[in-house]
Amino acid sequence: MSIRTVATRDLRNAGRSPALWGGAIGLGLLGVGLAFVNRGRSQSPTVAVESLFDVLTILLALLLPLAALVASYLAIAGERESGGIKFLLSVPNGRRDVFLGKLLSRLLIATVGVGFAYAPATSVSLSKYGAFPAAVVFGTLAVTLVYAAVFVVIGVSLSATVASRNSAIGRSLLAYFLLVLFYIFPVIQVSNVVRTVHTELLGMDANADLYNAVEFTSPYLAYQKTLNLVLPEGMENEFFSDSTEGGDTGDPGGSTVEGGGPGSGGESAGSTATSEPGEVATELPVYLTDEFALVILAFWLVVPLVLGYRSFAGADLE
Amino acid sequence: MVSVQTDSLTKRFGDVVAVDDISLTVERGEIFGFLGPNGAGKSTTLNILLDFIRPTSGAAEVLGRDTQAESTAIRERIGVLPEGYGFEDRLTGREHVEWAVASKGVDDDPDAIIETVGLRGDEHRLAAGYSKGMQQRLAFGMALVGDPELLVLDEPSTGLDPNGMQSMRSTIRDRAENGTTVLFSSHILPEVEAICDRIGVMNEGELVAVDTIENLREEAGGHATIDLVCATPPDPADVKTVDGVADATVDGTTLTVRCTDPTVKVDVVRSVDRQVDVVDILSQNASLEELFNIYTGGGRDEAGTTGPAEEQ
Repeated sequence: MSIRTVATRDLRNAGRSPALWGGAIGLGLLGVGLAFVNRGRSQSPTVAVESLFDVLTILLALLLPLAALVASYLAIAGERESGGIKFLLSVPNGRRDVFLGKLLSRLLIATVGVGFAYAPATSVSLSKYGAFPAAVVFGTLAVTLVYAAVFVVIGVSLSATVASRNSAIGRSLLAYFLLVLFYIFPVIQVSNVVRTVHTELLGMDANADLYNAVEFTSPYLAYQKTLNLVLPEGMENEFFSDSTEGGDTGDPGGSTVEGGGPGSGGESAGSTATSEPGEVATELPVYLTDEFALVILAFWLVVPLVLGYRSFAGADLE
Repeated sequence: MVSVQTDSLTKRFGDVVAVDDISLTVERGEIFGFLGPNGAGKSTTLNILLDFIRPTSGAAEVLGRDTQAESTAIRERIGVLPEGYGFEDRLTGREHVEWAVASKGVDDDPDAIIETVGLRGDEHRLAAGYSKGMQQRLAFGMALVGDPELLVLDEPSTGLDPNGMQSMRSTIRDRAENGTTVLFSSHILPEVEAICDRIGVMNEGELVAVDTIENLREEAGGHATIDLVCATPPDPADVKTVDGVADATVDGTTLTVRCTDPTVKVDVVRSVDRQVDVVDILSQNASLEELFNIYTGGGRDEAGTTGPAEEQ
């Protein structure tokens, strides 16, 4: 009841925000644009549409965290700065109601945002190719919604730890950098940083699985690994191909597949990977498998929430 | 029955003691006012009662419930006009009232509330675009939703014009007559004087006096003050020799004389009139303002500057 009144008030206000609709339309245009640009090449219509969604998820992997953080970073900090929190807590709401109500509202907004990207992509593809690969569309949609939810959770939770707009912006940007960008640019890539610290500073032997495991803590990677569970063979995002370097099997079979880091996966994964998908999977330690990505996403859904709420629950709201 | 009870309530922000060991009881149906200069700890005390901030030590109960453990249950029975509130950017005045009605789970008519606080005709405008006085009325209206047992009003007359103040006071009195307890804070003396049954004077986090206005006035020694506006600047030296005069100060052409005995005011006027032409006479008995100054040691004026007010 109280969660609902907090959420409906927030949605009502947000629904009148031109910026929010601008963002949603932007995501819609992204979906339309990709669908139009998408070429079938020599593939079958179904594969063409499937690869469209593969490309869409690669873009969303980068853009969605930003969109979700922007949509949620002010959820609570904004109310604290403006004084709206005083009204929210002057009626029969507890802090938990405010926190969960805001979270619910921002999750719905993010869901609608993803819908804005998916609906046009699906309908344009359908009219262009007449194909609707339901498993891939709904599979990637479900994983993408979870990914969006992770960043809404992170955004709302960060928002709950600060009292001002500026701090909220700062922390959200930091989160985007630490959880997404840090895993993309090769020079500062987290696995390289960890490798340097581990081998140069600590003087240890290189351990690829350790670096991979550290890298895997990012929801950005977890998202792409989870997508492998729903993407058709040949479109999987390959990571951790160097796992055997410091691992136990020493079998080079799977490790020759791709040298590429995150983001370079996708359609080009090619024949070698698909010819022995099972073998690659069995070589990886459990904590580096695609399935384990679900655990990582679950971690990011729960832990920030608990920390964010605890901080908010104990804060002095002046 | 007790509406509000605090027990050695203390709140520190770092080294600053914002609320210092306050023990207070407010009975049901009372209109109780916290009076004090800015920064005296009035809002902090109310914010602790509302569970916006947490006490460093001590405890408080509102309507018999613990402020921290049972804040939601308390909020079901109170109406709040908080300090430092802000409206949603894109919701109208009426929508804010509707939201308060829905949140409290009552079936009040939003239009009746809007009528009560005099916002008829403006209810479909965005609340964030209201003037300060209109925002204050709207916030007051939201506090009235659900006919609460206790109204907590933090500086309620801020930004209101005289009409608005008058109308708010009469609403507060009406509610109090129907058994509502009212707890509010103010640095505006006439307001406190006009509506309070009892006041608590706060200064630098401490509750320095709690009593009815009559008793406080008596305690202050029954001083009387007389202001004489003269044609030319008067000399206070002569009048100070009059029996019963405690003090005399000059500000421009105005001579302010404080008498320990109200009956010597006539002697004061005679004495001054012999010296200069008296243009106007303003006489008042011991005012809360003086009490305020006595208890707060001059305190801070409304703008928050420190040091004693020189005109006094």
